[in-house]
Amino acid sequence: MARREALRKAMRFLFVDRILDMIPGKSIEAEHVFDGGEDFFRDHFPGFPVVPGVLLTEMMGQAAAMCLDAESRGTGRGKAMLAQIRSASFREWVKPGETTAIKAGIRSSRPELATAACSAEVGGRRVCSAELLFSFLPLGHFASGYRDEVLEAYLSSPGREKG
Amino acid sequence: MSAVAKSTSEILAWVADVFETPPEKIRPEMKRDEIDAWDSLGILTLIARMDEDFQVLLTEDEIQGLRSVGDIIEVLRRHGQAGGAP
Repeated sequence: MARREALRKAMRFLFVDRILDMIPGKSIEAEHVFDGGEDFFRDHFPGFPVVPGVLLTEMMGQAAAMCLDAESRGTGRGKAMLAQIRSASFREWVKPGETTAIKAGIRSSRPELATAACSAEVGGRRVCSAELLFSFLPLGHFASGYRDEVLEAYLSSPGREKG
Repeated sequence: MSAVAKSTSEILAWVADVFETPPEKIRPEMKRDEIDAWDSLGILTLIARMDEDFQVLLTEDEIQGLRSVGDIIEVLRRHGQAGGAP
């Protein structure tokens, strides 16, 4: 990836590149690559760049939230917001350039909350897992015209589940 | 639904676990504002744990009615999850 593109990406807080498969409100499979251009690798750690666990957790949370947001479309429930990390485990280092496969299964989804069991793998090896709890924030709190570009791209792609 | 209804002491221990509070500090008469972790996030945690641990899906009215530890015990009793024994 070009340096300019890497810098553009480094300024984002978006850790899902694309959704591979999804059943809204039930499950999602997605992927993300930390390409190495992100600033945090300078400090985490010099000579041994690995993705911080908090960002792996955020990555899983973003994927699960997309699955919930897809379910919420048109219901007025609002956007899923990570409210609690109920548990999290980090088993393997994730290094720059590795494609991380994200999976999330929604355990419960109610008007006021949802819970999800999430995990991520690199090369078929589980690198982390987390149990996450979400609350929902009305869309009126966000900038007008705000849209989840990754979710919209998936939902608008031909032949995908429209939920 | 759990196979066997929990005793009051078991429910109190469960409440302590939900709110990450020492079990000896939880009493049925305690009000919501006496438990630090029973805040807006604590409510969500309580609802989620009711579902996961007891398969009890609270209605909006039941959620609004939870104002004390005794209310939690009572709602579990109504759902057949608390037996009322010590």
